[in-house]
Amino acid sequence: MSEPGSVNETTGAADGSLPLGGDTTPTGALRWRGISFEERMAGVDFRVGARAHITVDSDVCRSCTTRGCVTACPANLFAPTSDGGILFNYEECFECGTCYMVCNSEGAITWTYPDGGHGVVFHHG
Amino acid sequence: MTEPSAFDAVVVGAGPAGSAAALALARAGRSVVMVERGPFAGSKNVYGGVVYGRVLDDIIPTWWNEVPVERWVVRRSTMMMTEDQSLAIDYRSHAWGVAPYNGMTTVRSHFDSWLAGQATEAGAQLVTSTVATGLVRDSAGRVIGIRTDRDGAELRAPVVIACDGVNSLLAKEAGLLPRAEASHYTLGVKEVLDLPAEAINERFGVRGHEGVDIEILGCTRGIPGGGFLYTNAETVSVGVVVSLPHLAEAKVRPEELIADLKAHPSIAPYLRGSHLREYAAHLVPEGGYDTMPTLAADGMMVAGDAAAMTLAAGLWLEGVNFAIGSGYAAGRAADRAIAVGDCSARGLASYRADLENQFVLADHKRLRKAPALVLSERVQQRYPGLLCDLAEGMFTVTNPTPKAGGLRVTRAAAAKHGVKLRELAVDTIRGMRIFG
Amino acid sequence: MTTVDATTRSPLVVACLRITDLHPEVDLLTGAVTRDGLGVGLSPADAAALEHALRIAEAWTGRVVVVAAGPRYIVPVLREVVALGAAVVRIPYGDDASDHGQAAELAGDEHGLARAVAAALIPFGTPDLVVCGDHSVDRGTGAMPAFLAHELGAAQALGLVALTAERAGQTSGPTLIAERRLDAGWRERLRVPIPAVCSVEGAGVRLRRAPLSGALAAGSAVIASAPATTTTTHGTDGGADSWADNQSGSVHIGATRAFEPRTRVRPAPDSADPRIRLLALTGALVAHDPPTVIGPVGAAEAADALIGFLVRHGYLDGPPTPPAPPTPPAPIDPGDR
Ligand SMILES: Cc1cc2nc3c(=O)[nH]c(=O)nc-3n(C[C@H](O)[C@H](O)[C@H](O)COP(=O)(O)OP(=O)(O)OC[C@H]3O[C@@H](n4cnc5c(N)ncnc54)[C@H](O)[C@@H]3O)c2cc1C
Ligand code: SF4
Ligand code: SF4
Repeated sequence: MSEPGSVNETTGAADGSLPLGGDTTPTGALRWRGISFEERMAGVDFRVGARAHITVDSDVCRSCTTRGCVTACPANLFAPTSDGGILFNYEECFECGTCYMVCNSEGAITWTYPDGGHGVVFHHG
Repeated sequence: MTEPSAFDAVVVGAGPAGSAAALALARAGRSVVMVERGPFAGSKNVYGGVVYGRVLDDIIPTWWNEVPVERWVVRRSTMMMTEDQSLAIDYRSHAWGVAPYNGMTTVRSHFDSWLAGQATEAGAQLVTSTVATGLVRDSAGRVIGIRTDRDGAELRAPVVIACDGVNSLLAKEAGLLPRAEASHYTLGVKEVLDLPAEAINERFGVRGHEGVDIEILGCTRGIPGGGFLYTNAETVSVGVVVSLPHLAEAKVRPEELIADLKAHPSIAPYLRGSHLREYAAHLVPEGGYDTMPTLAADGMMVAGDAAAMTLAAGLWLEGVNFAIGSGYAAGRAADRAIAVGDCSARGLASYRADLENQFVLADHKRLRKAPALVLSERVQQRYPGLLCDLAEGMFTVTNPTPKAGGLRVTRAAAAKHGVKLRELAVDTIRGMRIFG
Repeated sequence: MTTVDATTRSPLVVACLRITDLHPEVDLLTGAVTRDGLGVGLSPADAAALEHALRIAEAWTGRVVVVAAGPRYIVPVLREVVALGAAVVRIPYGDDASDHGQAAELAGDEHGLARAVAAALIPFGTPDLVVCGDHSVDRGTGAMPAFLAHELGAAQALGLVALTAERAGQTSGPTLIAERRLDAGWRERLRVPIPAVCSVEGAGVRLRRAPLSGALAAGSAVIASAPATTTTTHGTDGGADSWADNQSGSVHIGATRAFEPRTRVRPAPDSADPRIRLLALTGALVAHDPPTVIGPVGAAEAADALIGFLVRHGYLDGPPTPPAPPTPPAPIDPGDR
């Protein structure tokens, strides 16, 4: 399996077509893995509300050792900062609940739904 | 019931559970309002892609003539894979492709809107773009309504049915759901990819409105879970469902797992040249029977995913049918309770009794041990490889060397994957007891 | 409370909205655009237009009518509008898949659309104010409001960032105060007589949410459709002519003066060698500050840091004073109709 770090996100056809299995090298060194995360999210309909429906207390995160949110959040919204905290943006959130479920530090995440009619709208759910 | 109520019942959530509950109440002549936080029913909902329709037979006869369907599933495949092998059990049925059908692929924005439409046509009211933010209780602690995030009045009713999905904030507020344990939940991520209908037909060996449903074990880098690939009319849905705590520990991002699956030599040819249309994520309550909340309190019931009613046991990923079944039963129980003027937990007890007698709780009870087995380390990490090696041992032509005997192949494969034959036998027996 | 008209009829404020699928799907191979209606909603500019209309109608104790041209899938959005207390009328187009070509045509034919809107408003009376979004998100040019002003014989003020009702003085009738962006952070303030057509940017105001009672009532509301009119023909028999007999609504612009920011004079570098002068002018060999990264701080601190930087480097003089417009360009007088 290739390391996440070795993912080449920007090469490849602009049409996002997938290769046949054949071009996986035996070591998995440089495997073409499709599209960038921005492009992945660009197809999703988000109706961003004025209120941040999820907030993260970066001070609590500074003492967190697990950082489950960083790998598990499917929208990749938890960004570790150089000072050991977490930078969180609520705008492109799936409202799935993964973050508060995997976080075991009390008080780090306040989680609510966006105001009615706002937030993600799935067309092909 | 001293307070005059604006409605006989309030249903929170216009997913399959909510719409079924509202439909049952409206048909019984009760005034019922559904509150949905998205701009339309289905806008917040994500699933893999197959609705099993049998539950609808009693509720909406000949539903198949009007339901928004992508394809009727005629081929179902269960695949075990390792990084470069796969072994599939492929079942195909002609009967599944004609009325009354077995399962269909459909999109939630269409399906949920259709079902909500059935409820409103029967007389239920639907208020969209409105979040139920909390419960209203009387001095005795009975639930008598909800608060919403819109200005103005609360919605009062003798019964509130919480069909608010897997995160059910209402069930938590009511204290019905014990503290949600991450290990009872899985995260589903899914990509919907554009693929012309002709390409789908050719690659999956179907035609017209026929569709395929593939469930996959062993594609999640050892993280307990599984994958799926479903055909829609002009798109395919591909995704993985993985255990939350293990995902968080594994330090693998969920979209990486989909990328793995898409690049697998058994899957990639199906998807060649497709484009990402939508990426989505949603939680699944996988704990099964043993993790369900209390189903009724004074003035309140819980149905569907809010009550952890998804049956997700590896070979199965069914929730919509369970949501409809439980929602409809909750609606009917509410009607009975209103009729006798007792909406206490006792008055609503017929809900649970009803579910025990139907598939909803009967299936869950029968399969209560399944989640643990399917998500167990052996099934997840060793058996896919073991079975693939077994197949390889059987099918690889080695002549002029004589073929190895079946038992020898099994022993060799089991040893390679660190499985003792006794464990294999134990799990087989356990599996037969659970699924058989 | 102001009476807008000499008569006792209640003032009519119209929001003319372009409701469309804001999230169409584009086929990457063919470029074909599919609007299935799931992404239907109000663009920020149209949401602002509706909010302005509601506020001004409140100030005038008037009625609000919302008119929108679009296919059947815009009805849920119109229901939300009904929940806010407005009357609505839909000009149907693109209802059938077979009509999509016509819809595209009407979207491109802003004059035809303006005619259709004017006609759809006839049953409601003469509008005192029509508010539109500044341009539609699906490749609109922003010209429709101007055409509509022409059809209605009304004054026009387009591309506004603020729009408020001005209380009528003793002598003059009620008017509107509008603001529009100019260069360099300046704004011009206009006094707009009524009737008027104004288009607004999606800025400054946020659309309110309907109360629960409104949302409940709107669920069963019937959304009226304007009878099909000659929406795509360019004929001169547009319905509007019959009731707005004064067609001299073209806008008169009073004296205006362009706003020219001061130039900064730099003394010529002091050297005989042109190369040295060039280097001094371009700063090619001077050590530069490394780029400053403004980390995750609050918006206010970030703004202070940015302004501080600009002041330090001479792009701004001192702490900026809010641009009180004493002699900015003379207010445009849209003139009498
Ligand atoms: C990845 C994945 C794959 C799946 N695959 C399948 C499959 O192939 N087949 C199958 O049958 N099932 C599948 N399921 C399960 C299925 O999606 C669920 O079981 C089903 O949707 C449950 O229906 P529900 O009505 O209980 O909840 P939901 O469908 O979640 O509906 C809940 C509704 O309540 C609304 N809501 C929530 N909170 C509030 C609030 N406070 N106020 C107002 N409204 C609120 C939500 O917007 C939503 O519309 C899958 C699930 C996932 C996540
Ligand atoms: S949100 Fe929770 S899991 Fe994530 S870094 Fe903070 S404390 Fe840790
Ligand atoms: S709710 Fe889901 S998508 Fe949103 S921040 Fe949490 S984990 Fe990420």
